[in-house]
Amino acid sequence: MPTREELSLLVRTVISDVLGTEAEEVREQTSLEVDYGIDSLELMEVGARLERSLRLRIEVEDLTAAQTVGQAIDLLQARTAGRS
Amino acid sequence: MTRRHPSGGHRVAVTGIGLKSPAGNDLEAAYTAVLKGGSTAATVPRLIEADLPVHFACLVPEFDLDAYLTRRESRQIDRTTRLLLCAATDAVEDAVLPAGLTPERVGVQIGTGIGGLPSMEEVTLSHAARPRDMPVHTVPRTMANSPATRLAMRYGFRGPCTTYASACASGTTAVGEAARKIRYGDLDAALAGGTDSAVTTVVMGAFARMRAMSVRNADPERASRPFDTDRDGFVMAEGAAVLVLERWDLALARGARIYGEVAGFADNCDASHIVAPTEDGATAGRCMRQALADAGLSTADIGHINAHGTSTVLNDRAEARAIERCFHGQSPPVTAVKGVTGHLIGGSGALEAALALLCAARGSVPPIANLRASPEADLVDLVVGAPRSIARAAVLSNSFGFGGQNACLVLVPEDGGGPQSPGAAPHPRTPQQR
Repeated sequence: MPTREELSLLVRTVISDVLGTEAEEVREQTSLEVDYGIDSLELMEVGARLERSLRLRIEVEDLTAAQTVGQAIDLLQARTAGRS
Repeated sequence: MTRRHPSGGHRVAVTGIGLKSPAGNDLEAAYTAVLKGGSTAATVPRLIEADLPVHFACLVPEFDLDAYLTRRESRQIDRTTRLLLCAATDAVEDAVLPAGLTPERVGVQIGTGIGGLPSMEEVTLSHAARPRDMPVHTVPRTMANSPATRLAMRYGFRGPCTTYASACASGTTAVGEAARKIRYGDLDAALAGGTDSAVTTVVMGAFARMRAMSVRNADPERASRPFDTDRDGFVMAEGAAVLVLERWDLALARGARIYGEVAGFADNCDASHIVAPTEDGATAGRCMRQALADAGLSTADIGHINAHGTSTVLNDRAEARAIERCFHGQSPPVTAVKGVTGHLIGGSGALEAALALLCAARGSVPPIANLRASPEADLVDLVVGAPRSIARAAVLSNSFGFGGQNACLVLVPEDGGGPQSPGAAPHPRTPQQR
């Protein structure tokens, strides 16, 4: 099970790759909707990549429910913990 | 006062040109290259590695993509769309389009021969065995109308956005149809052009299977030789070109620099063979005549012809016969810039329209690259060896595509009083005077 730090790096790296930015630019308090105007396809791509990396089923609703990147990481951590 | 087009509709001005082509990434560079008459074909190592029978192509010189596209945009689109967006950005900048345009009155009209096939090829090779892992953007990246609609999105132009697929004539069809929409009052302005990037394993392999392409692997620079006795097929290229077209009176009113006019357009179909042109050139010749009639011009008004001239025996021979028919044996000087640029498929028609208009304006017809002797020399007046100086006059630009698709444009340079236009009239002349 990845640590929260590892999970954070993975999530921020995936997001930055999809949005064409750097992982350092994506912070815990970043809102993908407000700060980047992320569209549904981009969000689905983020979800698909995280699914592959974490071998975890992720619904788009899981990601849209989170207001910030930090909340999404928390949610994913709970899900990965719940699985083990 | 602005006179009307002979059809009674609006005249159509070319006010901006942008291109990303093997001959150069701006109009002046490409103009210089085609006048020099040296081929841009070169060996492409990845084609050899892929074990293709053709080892070379004409590629767009590297340029700074980041100056045009954000990484976020760039990763959602393929090379075909990237090249188009970059060419269009240059064209819009060149036209100095005003901010106050009504978005509903501006259209995007783009031709592409194979559209998203190269990116579909890529995703097929990478993901066919694991379809569940395909990128989410696969459909928007590969759909045929992706280049045109991405361009409309970029500028928020909400007029008609159409993608034309008439194979190698697509770029010409797009420019002609865009001009018609302006002429008949549907649009005030349009971004019109073409794009393709077909230098891929499957596409090149497929064309090579028909023996349509030159296999002069030992000497790529001598491979594209339109109308030459020793030609052995066309040379694949990539690239995009975009013209900004505007209603003439509106362009004048805003003080736009005008390159010239899209004065005539016609298209038709051989309806005969799926790839080979009709040998007698009758239908293609009729297409040229119709384009001239559409412009209200006669054959004597045409200063030179930009031939489709692919460097395949079948095209060049049929095209020479078609020109001979249309011009009753009185051929004006004929050039074929694919000797320099290679064949950009959907990009060629728009690139060549831009170059033909500039050549017509400057009174200089480029020599056909690698042309030494031609079996068609008795039919048409081919420009050999060095540029031919001509009086500033209208130009006929031909494109013929697989499927028997014929499309012809007539472009008339603006009498702007350039250095090579002594005595140029201050205002455009009427068709009868041309």
